[in-house]
Amino acid sequence: MIELKHDELVFSFPEVHDDAICSIDFQRTLRIPDDNRSYPLPPGLGRFPMEHTDDHSDSLPVKWKEHGGVLLPMYQAEALWINFNSDYPFAVKIATGKINAVTGKEWSNKLTRNPQDYLVIPDQPWLDGYCVQKGLIRQFVAMPLGEGYTAEEQISGKAEHGGLQIIVYPMKRKHYELMQREESRMADSVLCQMKVFEDSDAMGLAPGGLMRQEIYEDEHDFNVWDTENSSRCFVHILNSKQWKAVTGNEVPGEPPGSKEYTEAGLPWFEYYDDHHQALTGAKTLAGMDSVAAKTIKQGKQPKDNDQVSPENVSAVGPSANQVKEGKW
Amino acid sequence: MRFGDHIRNVRETLRKGDKKYSLRQVAIRVGVEPAYLSKIERNVFPPPSEEVIGKLSAELGEDRDVLLAMAGKLSGDLQQVILERPRLFADLIRQMKEAPDQAILRVVREVRDGNW
Repeated sequence: MIELKHDELVFSFPEVHDDAICSIDFQRTLRIPDDNRSYPLPPGLGRFPMEHTDDHSDSLPVKWKEHGGVLLPMYQAEALWINFNSDYPFAVKIATGKINAVTGKEWSNKLTRNPQDYLVIPDQPWLDGYCVQKGLIRQFVAMPLGEGYTAEEQISGKAEHGGLQIIVYPMKRKHYELMQREESRMADSVLCQMKVFEDSDAMGLAPGGLMRQEIYEDEHDFNVWDTENSSRCFVHILNSKQWKAVTGNEVPGEPPGSKEYTEAGLPWFEYYDDHHQALTGAKTLAGMDSVAAKTIKQGKQPKDNDQVSPENVSAVGPSANQVKEGKW
Repeated sequence: MRFGDHIRNVRETLRKGDKKYSLRQVAIRVGVEPAYLSKIERNVFPPPSEEVIGKLSAELGEDRDVLLAMAGKLSGDLQQVILERPRLFADLIRQMKEAPDQAILRVVREVRDGNW
């Protein structure tokens, strides 16, 4: 089952194990410059708000009601990263516009090992974008569907789904208990006049700037994952005007730009974990145009895209507090 | 266990692994005087405000609602929810009093998965 608690999706599988609980939230962040230089990890600037789709079904397109899930607001060209929190092992598939963010392949409810189309948590503490190359991702950046920027449009050629999709599989109980034993040995509704916005106004995620982040290879046997039990959620992305119209709430102010943030001497982050192997990245995803490249191809100039040189870079690792959070 | 005892136990356990959980440093991070936090931990003073309890829960990695309940308080958002339908929620909570966890979980609102 999935619950929405304090702007966090909580996936629990009491039928598998009492400990089988993981939470996933979406962090607001800086949009890193999209200039083909690689940048360290930007900070987390707080969770995006989320609401149940069912609470606003009167003001949403029919398709969205069918999808279920939750609503999340983003400004155009705003970036996000996904924060995972669990002590119990899970395999998690993430897609945007039903395009897998690790492999670039179209959505499937099945878990696949070759090529690995999922992340393993808690080894993977967060995901900031599309896995384009070993140790490099392209940042998730919100763009309107229908203008050709999103991963979905660039790969499938269609502007159909938008949003972000998640499916979570727990580790099988017996493997978890075995792992625990081994570890212990080693350790000793609202307004009727509300305007229903059109499906075509939907937002999707597109590839932004390059960031240094490894997506880790699954080190477990593939049969540890309980593919009989899974939960999935469709996260619909609304722009700030739609969010206000649908929920009646204001979206938090826009995050600072990378330039102002860096010039203020605020921290960026590098994550080091030598214990895991990184995936090589997907050619399909590497072949996408970034938002800046697409903008230039359309004969326009990208906005707010000045190169920055972060000097205050803090190292974080698996033993440290994993949530990267700026000082605000 | 009383609120103060619980806070001190959790903080002291964390302090064994990391000195930043000293009484003084935790007090500074949650924005109260160390002497005040000390008196709360010793149950000399009653539990602090909802805001401070919220900061303590984040700082110590504890569940905010559980800490508020231990302090005999109800978070503002829950109060609002109950005030909107007080009779209904009073009945519901009384009926749920003896129910097993699994039965309560059945009425927890799930995020619905649809067709996509």
